[in-house]
Amino acid sequence: MDKSFNPERRRLMRAALCAGATASWTTLSFAGNGAAAGANRFVMVVLRGGMDGLSAVPAIGDPDFAAARGALGQFASPALALDRMFALNPNLAQLHAMYARGELVVVHAVGLPYRERSHFDAQQVLESGGTRPYELTSGWLGRALGPGKGLALNTAVPLVLRGPGVIDTWAPSNLPDPSADLVARLERMYGNDAALATALARAKALHFDSTMMAAMGEAPAASSPRPGGNFALLAQRAAEFLSQTNGPQAAVLELGGWDSHANQSAPNGALATSLRTLDAGMAALRDGLVAGAAWKRSVVVVATEFGREVAINGTQGTDHGTGGAALVFGGAVKGGRVVADWPGLAKKDRFEGRDLRTTTDLRAVLKGVLADHLHVASRSLDGEVFPGSEAVRGIALLA
Amino acid sequence: MASSTSVQAALAAHRFGLGEASLTTIQGDPQAWLLAQIGPADAARGEGLLTTPQALDLIRAEAEKRRLARNPPPGTTAEQVLANHYRETIVADTRSRLITAAATQRPFAERLQLFWANHFTVSLTKGGVRGLVGAFERDAIRPHIAGSFETLLRAASTHPAMLRYLDNNQSAGPHSRVVARLARRAQEMQEQPRITGLNENLAREILELHTLGADSGRGPEGPRGGYTQADVTSFAAVLTGWRPAGLEGGSGQPFDVAWHEPGRKTVLGKSYPEGPDALAQVLHDLAHHPSTARFLATKLARHFVADDPPPELVDALAKTYLRSDGQLAEVYRELLKSPLAWNPAPAKLKTPEEFVVSTVRLLGGADRIGERGEFAKLAAGIVAQGQRIHATPSPAGWPDRAEEWLGPEAVWKRIEWATRVADRAGRFVDARALASASLGPLLGDASQRQIERAADGPQALALLLMAPEFQRR
Repeated sequence: MDKSFNPERRRLMRAALCAGATASWTTLSFAGNGAAAGANRFVMVVLRGGMDGLSAVPAIGDPDFAAARGALGQFASPALALDRMFALNPNLAQLHAMYARGELVVVHAVGLPYRERSHFDAQQVLESGGTRPYELTSGWLGRALGPGKGLALNTAVPLVLRGPGVIDTWAPSNLPDPSADLVARLERMYGNDAALATALARAKALHFDSTMMAAMGEAPAASSPRPGGNFALLAQRAAEFLSQTNGPQAAVLELGGWDSHANQSAPNGALATSLRTLDAGMAALRDGLVAGAAWKRSVVVVATEFGREVAINGTQGTDHGTGGAALVFGGAVKGGRVVADWPGLAKKDRFEGRDLRTTTDLRAVLKGVLADHLHVASRSLDGEVFPGSEAVRGIALLA
Repeated sequence: MASSTSVQAALAAHRFGLGEASLTTIQGDPQAWLLAQIGPADAARGEGLLTTPQALDLIRAEAEKRRLARNPPPGTTAEQVLANHYRETIVADTRSRLITAAATQRPFAERLQLFWANHFTVSLTKGGVRGLVGAFERDAIRPHIAGSFETLLRAASTHPAMLRYLDNNQSAGPHSRVVARLARRAQEMQEQPRITGLNENLAREILELHTLGADSGRGPEGPRGGYTQADVTSFAAVLTGWRPAGLEGGSGQPFDVAWHEPGRKTVLGKSYPEGPDALAQVLHDLAHHPSTARFLATKLARHFVADDPPPELVDALAKTYLRSDGQLAEVYRELLKSPLAWNPAPAKLKTPEEFVVSTVRLLGGADRIGERGEFAKLAAGIVAQGQRIHATPSPAGWPDRAEEWLGPEAVWKRIEWATRVADRAGRFVDARALASASLGPLLGDASQRQIERAADGPQALALLLMAPEFQRR
């Protein structure tokens, strides 16, 4: 990582610890569709930049793997075996431990209905839940949840959470909260500006509640910095919010830096760092949910906009591709297995002779989780949540 | 005061500029005030600013320091050798960007410079770009914002910052001399060669983000694109050899033939010759492509007028672009001439950087940004609101739609920052007078009432800074 930004990161971490004491959820309402569904928790982790699925989840048992991947098929320490075909990158040790405990499903050769190779269009499809870029302007999770049940751990609202209602966001801060008096005056001033008024109302609910302030102050997890930096801290905070009885039903985390065009097997290069950050963040998320007694009720999906080309490009990296890997884990997941209709890595088996072929639609994974875990009706899943997806059947992933 | 001229003056100051403390100088002829600003951007203000060759020297010196740090001289540690790695340059560049925007007499030109620097994003998130980002803006963007788009495109695409940011420094023709040499050497050493061929990153982003627009054909910019994977690959072959001069053992020239892919290449159905001349020819053709006209017209109209700009305005700008051979000054004049750009209802939200800069201009604080503590507070304020100057998260640049900046936490962070600024400055200014002098007839009754009834000076100023009329433009 960029050395020059370390002081800033430490500052943000400290800020996060202070802000933890003042955030709250009690004034928000989270009416579920029945007690069971309302208590379940879901986390969507969006990896931006196109994670190389064959580096994260190498298909070491594929006869063409070694030849196709060359130096990218070799790891500094041995890959962590999943079964006879697949392994996890050695930088994903804590996720591997979840697999061993039967909590993690690895989905491979998975991808979007979109087959071009633009980051920005592919992310739009991933988050909107459409079949073509810019066909939809809100996000599948926002539409599935309905108003006020989702939280983004970011200052900005990711597209995936945008829906008919407002979306809550949270990020660490090192400035004091404004006074209640000022906020009341701002509310009067925003009478003619609906967008500003809504944002202010939601932020106020998150920052100004005394009951939860006390509860959050006692949260034990918020005291020790851990590896994974700011991302792990956000994951930890997400877990704390989700663990509250009246907390959000779903949270969205984002992690960038996956666009590994060059030197992607360097032991301390960008990809290795991103994988370690992801691993630490997901472990922090699990620890937080376990501490908050919400782990058993939780499902986490980790997905990226596309995989990368099977072959190494000219600079020891990989250019944009299509099919890749996704992860599904949580206390409610029936894990310890790999779900893949494996297309093979020989050139003739690749998409356009180039990419890992997509044989599983990511929407099948998401529809399975939304139906079985959040009890979203199938008519709604085929309709407004993932329009045009009637032919895509949800995959059963829960215990 | 409430004449339509003063509405125009307020719109000129806020929508097309960076905010003004007073509208008196604009009052006479707001449109003429803006038209007179069309031209190259101001020279960047501030100290410690490097030219591109100086920045390349710095990168060489830092690489030398890194080598030294592996075996630190006796009595020193690696940390000491590497202390302040690029820090001074990064701080000087960020500070310069804020001072220049806060102090300029030509805020419309400065907005255009910020717009094009974002269109051609290079970012410190990539280590190899450190030291070069400010030089990129000063040498590749500022001089060219009102010339032909082709010139701007060429300057941006061949600047060392862009070549490194999008990996072109590492892309080699699969049949180039360098690849053959590296393969031989690797075979002798029995290891994998470091570089064996193309890296498509720059080629794809020039097509998708800088000229034609994404190939989806139905983005928010409307019909656009029109290229294939094969075009990306052969354009990447055209780009081979374009490497930062004098870095990484290169030839010292911006084009290094040893890295270039031999033979002719076909991009978008047209054949281009081997060698360095092909790049200028491809960029010429891209700059004159109708998809480019439409893509740029939409982005400009979106930036100044509305998230979803009126189609008639986009048509007019695209037509002017094509008719004038991509002369950007003509496109800006067309924009300023159009009544569609002067709708009094503000449709855009300021970015965090624009909000902070316009606050400094409102309070007349540009001179103080030179002070170390003052600058650090401003830069940290912008970061807290979700934007780190010169560290854009992706090559697509910062988003340019209001909803991207309207998350509850983002608005809360603006309030926190406004409160802190107002606590310090609010005792020394009359926010009521400032509100009317800066916003003129745009200031609505609700905001005016709240500012007038504020409990004290700091609260009045915080309310002014957070008023919809000051947040929007």
